Amino acid sequence: MANPSAVCNGHLHHQKQNNNLLKSGIYKKNGITKGMKKNGVSNGTLYKKTFIEHFEQAPMYVAVLTFLGFGVGTVFGYLRDFMRAWGLEKRNIAAEREQQKDFVPLYQDFENFYTRNLYMRIRDNWNRPICSVPGPQFDLMERVTDDYNWTFRFTGRTIKNVINMGSYNYLGFAETDVNALKTVTIELEKYGTGICSTRQEMGTLDKHVELEKLVAKFLGVEDAMVFGMGFATNSMNIPALVGKGCLILSDELNHTSLVLGARLSGATIRIFKHNNMQSLEKLLRDAIIYGQPRSRRAWRKIIILVEGIYSMEGSIVRLPELVSLKKKYKAYLYLDEAHSIGAVGATGRGVVEYFGMSPDDVDVLMGTFTKSFGAAGGYIAGRKDLVDFLRTHSHSAVYATSMCPPVAEQIIRAMKCLMGLDGTTQGLQRVRQLGKNTRYFRRRLHEMGFIIYGNDDSPVVPLLLYMPGKIGAFARRMLEKNIGVVVVGFPATPIAESRARFCVSAAHTREMLDTVLNALDELGDFLQLKYSRYSKSSHPELYEETRLEFED
Amino acid sequence: MNVGVAHSEVNPNTRVMNSRGMWLTYALGVGMLHIVLLSIPFFSVPVAWTLTNVIHNLGMYVFLHAVKGTPFETPDQGKARLLTHWEQLDYGVQFTSSRKFFTISPIILYFLASFYTKYDPTHFILNTTSLLTVLIPKLPQLHGVRLFGINKY
Repeated sequence: MANPSAVCNGHLHHQKQNNNLLKSGIYKKNGITKGMKKNGVSNGTLYKKTFIEHFEQAPMYVAVLTFLGFGVGTVFGYLRDFMRAWGLEKRNIAAEREQQKDFVPLYQDFENFYTRNLYMRIRDNWNRPICSVPGPQFDLMERVTDDYNWTFRFTGRTIKNVINMGSYNYLGFAETDVNALKTVTIELEKYGTGICSTRQEMGTLDKHVELEKLVAKFLGVEDAMVFGMGFATNSMNIPALVGKGCLILSDELNHTSLVLGARLSGATIRIFKHNNMQSLEKLLRDAIIYGQPRSRRAWRKIIILVEGIYSMEGSIVRLPELVSLKKKYKAYLYLDEAHSIGAVGATGRGVVEYFGMSPDDVDVLMGTFTKSFGAAGGYIAGRKDLVDFLRTHSHSAVYATSMCPPVAEQIIRAMKCLMGLDGTTQGLQRVRQLGKNTRYFRRRLHEMGFIIYGNDDSPVVPLLLYMPGKIGAFARRMLEKNIGVVVVGFPATPIAESRARFCVSAAHTREMLDTVLNALDELGDFLQLKYSRYSKSSHPELYEETRLEFED
Repeated sequence: MNVGVAHSEVNPNTRVMNSRGMWLTYALGVGMLHIVLLSIPFFSVPVAWTLTNVIHNLGMYVFLHAVKGTPFETPDQGKARLLTHWEQLDYGVQFTSSRKFFTISPIILYFLASFYTKYDPTHFILNTTSLLTVLIPKLPQLHGVRLFGINKY
């Protein structure tokens, strides 16, 4: 792909931004990134299918009201703190003993301000205990609070069959069907639950070898290694791969595990704007031209850390451009497919398959089994010499216990189902059902007029709520309608962009999705969440006929 | 750690003032304050303007230059714990657009207040001292400076 400021044949071609994007088949219009719609795919483009991502901005009044909401919350927070300090209100939070009042305080109470005054008010929407398998529906323990969320008590009743829109159960493998779990039960009886050893000592079982071969076959790479914990796969292996003198280019919205691994490694970390290849290219060029900060030596290694699907935005990484960049500047690519393995791609093999690329293009393929496979743990796959290196040098292999056999068997059976090796087409059906559900859900939400972030093909659907008051209201009312959702606010998201995140699953039936969509429709009207200015509303009489002109 | 957080921004406080709509909200807030003061029948127009100026500067001083740290825990091992919000903006980079905006806005308010109070001496003294309390801490030379050990820890 031609670089805009490349020097060719002695001439400095300064092509404009638009040309560059047009070549790749993507352009931005009205805040929506769209791919060019063509009859066929021409040879010059990197993307074999259209890449449509939405990050629509709400009208300005929404942002203003959001900040006003936080302002009011802050003022009331100060008021309540004042009342608590002067004894006009009961103090519910932990306090020091009388003898310790003269000591230097352990905690700064201002750091707790947000938790105390804003989070506590809507705390009942998180950490809800469930008492069944988190499949497409689950049971919740009913809990009430007598003192405005400072303490909870369980009434003893369970709320049955709450539709689960929060679990990362993309392929529906979180199930308790006895027939499906038969092999897992057998392995549990044979091996027990614990390994009690690390991989390098006595913790490598035949189950691990079998699983690693299967993972490598599934992904189409030479070898793979599995670890007991998905988070630890990132945080323990990145320090083994890079160290001081190396450069890590990490996406703005990378997961905590990647950030922790990058910090533990001791390498220099530079952050590029989310999914923005121009920002990344600028960083790469600067890194190669200027080298290490003071000594100006060349970097020992440059590695780019990205995720397949970003769980809070629902955006998919721009892999073709990324791979072409990495090949041009000779950097390494570490792709964390935690949410995308099993969830995207024609046969569920992740973003690499989704873009029609070869797994050899990515140097380190990492993923977790927690989301699509209904198990726990993570893997790193790639070339054989990479995996052999990790077997000896990974911190997890030396110090952490390995994956336990029943979990390994669950992954094996899920993966075999997905690959079709169990003799049925159930795996493929699940992937197709997930794709259908995703497209249907997103299309209906767009039609209703909500602002949704992310790629049209990603099963993670963030619905923007914006105002802090609506976070609590939305989650509580959805629970009243028997739907369990996950809501997130500041500081986990930017201050003006709190959202509810839906995770579509292959196990959701059309009826369940319709129930959720109808509830959302009602709630959207009641809470006035339908901020989108671009989609055709399902109530056309309320809006003028402004059709967005798609370039044909 | 940034557990439960979806970005690698160590201190979200640094970016709050750059968010879309924040400046507008601030301007609207000042306008609202002024309208409330104007509607109180006991205050004449000059008094209302001086009060707007003084209350705005007092609020700005308290929130930007007196309160230290962040209202939430950050994974930066306490680097921002002793810094006021002004010092935390954009991680200490000077002359960014937010800083310029928040430096200019009390000055504009001061001009307006001086005009509407018809440059009366008492009002002038009040407005000028109040403006100075809010302008001096914003100077880059006073980044991290605590006079007489006030507000140090």
